[in-house]
Amino acid sequence: MTIGTVRAVVCAITLVLCLASIGAPQERKAPAANDLDRAQAAFQAGRYTEALALARRGADAAPTSVRALTVRAGMAEFMGEFDEARTVYDRASALAPDDAELIYLTASFAVRVGEYDRALVQLDRLLALHPAHVRWLFQWAPTYLQPGLLRDHPALEHIVQIKLDILSERGDLAQARQLARSYAIVKSGENYCGEAQAKSRDGAEREETFKAFRLAALGQPDAADCIWWYGQWLSDEGYVRLGRLMVIEGTRAMPSAGGKESRARYLRIRLGGNREVSKRAEQLFLVARQRYLRDGDIDGAVRLFDESIRLAPMFARPYNYRATIAADLGDREAALAWLQRGLQADPDSWRTHRNIGKLLSELERYPEAEMYLRKTVQLFGDDAGGRLALARVLYAQGKYDDFAKEARAAVALLANWKTPVPEVRDFLSKFDRWGPGEALPPAPDPRIIVGWNHD
Amino acid sequence: MTDRLGPVLLLIGALVLVSARADAETYRWVDDQGNVTYSNRPPQPREVPPATPEAQPAPDVKAPDVKGADVKTREAKSPDVKAPEMKTPEAKAPEPKGAEVQTQPPKPRDAKVSVPPNPIPKTGPTKIDELLDLAGVRGQLVGLLSRVAVDLRPPPGQMSPADQATIDRILGQSLRHDVVYGAVRETFRPQVDRPSLEATAAWLRTPVARKIVALETASSEPDAEQKVADYAAMLKANPPPARRLELLQQLDWVTGANETSADLVAAIARGLSTAVSAAGPPESRLRPGQIEDRAAQVRARANETLREVRTMSMLYTYQALRDEELSEYVRFSGSDAGRWYNTAMRRALVGGIGKAVEQTATELVRAVPLERWARAAMPAPQPVK
Repeated sequence: MTIGTVRAVVCAITLVLCLASIGAPQERKAPAANDLDRAQAAFQAGRYTEALALARRGADAAPTSVRALTVRAGMAEFMGEFDEARTVYDRASALAPDDAELIYLTASFAVRVGEYDRALVQLDRLLALHPAHVRWLFQWAPTYLQPGLLRDHPALEHIVQIKLDILSERGDLAQARQLARSYAIVKSGENYCGEAQAKSRDGAEREETFKAFRLAALGQPDAADCIWWYGQWLSDEGYVRLGRLMVIEGTRAMPSAGGKESRARYLRIRLGGNREVSKRAEQLFLVARQRYLRDGDIDGAVRLFDESIRLAPMFARPYNYRATIAADLGDREAALAWLQRGLQADPDSWRTHRNIGKLLSELERYPEAEMYLRKTVQLFGDDAGGRLALARVLYAQGKYDDFAKEARAAVALLANWKTPVPEVRDFLSKFDRWGPGEALPPAPDPRIIVGWNHD
Repeated sequence: MTDRLGPVLLLIGALVLVSARADAETYRWVDDQGNVTYSNRPPQPREVPPATPEAQPAPDVKAPDVKGADVKTREAKSPDVKAPEMKTPEAKAPEPKGAEVQTQPPKPRDAKVSVPPNPIPKTGPTKIDELLDLAGVRGQLVGLLSRVAVDLRPPPGQMSPADQATIDRILGQSLRHDVVYGAVRETFRPQVDRPSLEATAAWLRTPVARKIVALETASSEPDAEQKVADYAAMLKANPPPARRLELLQQLDWVTGANETSADLVAAIARGLSTAVSAAGPPESRLRPGQIEDRAAQVRARANETLREVRTMSMLYTYQALRDEELSEYVRFSGSDAGRWYNTAMRRALVGGIGKAVEQTATELVRAVPLERWARAAMPAPQPVK
């Protein structure tokens, strides 16, 4: 199970649990049913801020209700209010120390915020709730017996998957692979990489493909391409911590010097090179992005982005989003300032150079835009969209030869990816026939390369 | 000549934005208080002052309003200059294919368009107003604004008579061409490059440029859309020669008319969104970035639509020009002065018209609250049987 899957499952489980635990023996006081029900209804309707507010009220009205506390903690976690989530989870755990579902949620939350030791303690508690013979089998039975055991006891499967995530995120991939083999999550001799590539080629469900590449990373240490692909996908999704580790692993496994070099460049210009980002900062960034893009919650997003920046000042992505928010609010100068701060934090950030170049182009500050966009394509030569943006600012300055060179290079790159850009071709053909025209050339931004799209 | 305003107007007119109701007639008249009214019904007797030679009820648009005693409007008779005849393929009668097929080639539509007999003499520096008048900006704005007004006006019967009257009054006052012209001029002013301005003015004083201005102005009239449609139908049986198409595409390329049209459509969408959003409840207001996104989406859609109609509009507008004249137009537009003028005019138009639309929309939603607009847009309740 991937981290992404775990998160999704956690959200779903949180809500299901809240309903399921109504009649639980630990329930010492009837919850404020109306508020909680309304909170869950609001959550399901996508009104997350309102849902959290209702959950808070429900939990405050029923401070000894495990259900109310669990609902509130789950929603606070979902909204990136991690301190609140932890406090409320702790209160719920004190009321129901042996609640398996609650222990699972607490462990999962601990992984989410990078408190791995805490998570392991919770997993041990979860295991301890099982009968002695099950525990014995889980720990000592031969591998061939494990699939049946995990099937009969889903909580054990959760334990293994969370441990795999913990080991992977800590960078101990060898240990993670050993664990996956010992519980028959992966088997030797299987071609997981081939299966994953086939799924990707055949357009299988996104989550299914994602899982397949994860298995390849765990089951085939030499499958450099698949590990690398998995790392890129994680990076795209925003799981930069694990993504970075997978990219490093994929680079290590890469046999050719050229391949190693290009992957090292990816690490440097997309994932901050040696700048490691803490799990909590990464998760705050992810939730903040959601709160802004999905909910339009500017205040909440800004607070979380700022907290992410405080925890990981060298992490470029939150600066870019602060710039986006500023630009969306109509303050382009503030957006520029945020991007400049992002470049100070990570001078090799390809996306930050690109964003600042495009913003300056919008502001018709073409010479400056050219400088940043030249750096953009220097950092990442296959960035067709960046080249088209550069071509546009060159044209705007009357540098027609350079324009044609960059535009043609971009068209050729895109042709390799079977992505035609008819408007650019049309423009070039008219340019060739009639010379420079009045309108600036189009600069579409085709998102074609996995791993480069969502910084 | 606006160089680009003419085709731009036609192209915009072809867009849904300003021509959603193709069957609607548009009337414009000035009452005895000087208020301009746009309506889809003709003026009632008490609404218009008695016709005098000085005050004509107007849905018509004047030809370029060029200052100077020697300048004639298109109404002025000019016996020594005839409207040019269309060359091939119009000379060849198309093969009759059925009753509905035209048996005559498309006739040049500029029987009314007259060209001043001589270039306008000029000494001393050209003023901005003079340049814009030579380009026919003022006259063409009338056509454009009347279309915008039609689009902003709710369909008949949807508003209460009082609200309808308020809307008509605001449209008449806020979208006055002289007001918008002032805004366009003010945006144009800081971009002035004196040598380019003089070169442009010199070109605009040539007979061929004067003729082009007259054609573009005539094309900006509100009834041009239907004429373009008719003309397009005629061209199906009698397609234009490749050389003509090439020249028009080249003209579009050097003037950037298509891009300017799309920019204008986006500016209008932006102005409307801004005004409407500001009038709504705080929680539902759009952020500037969202407004920009919407404008960009509208622009992209407009671009698609424009691509389809631009050639036809230009064929119609310039049908009375000979290829050599069109080549001359292309040559000027591709010169340094032509490029300067096109860029400056694009910014001026987009800025001026966008601002005017935003102000008008702001006044409209202030005078008639949004909920009444929304209610008016709902289908009328069906009578209970």
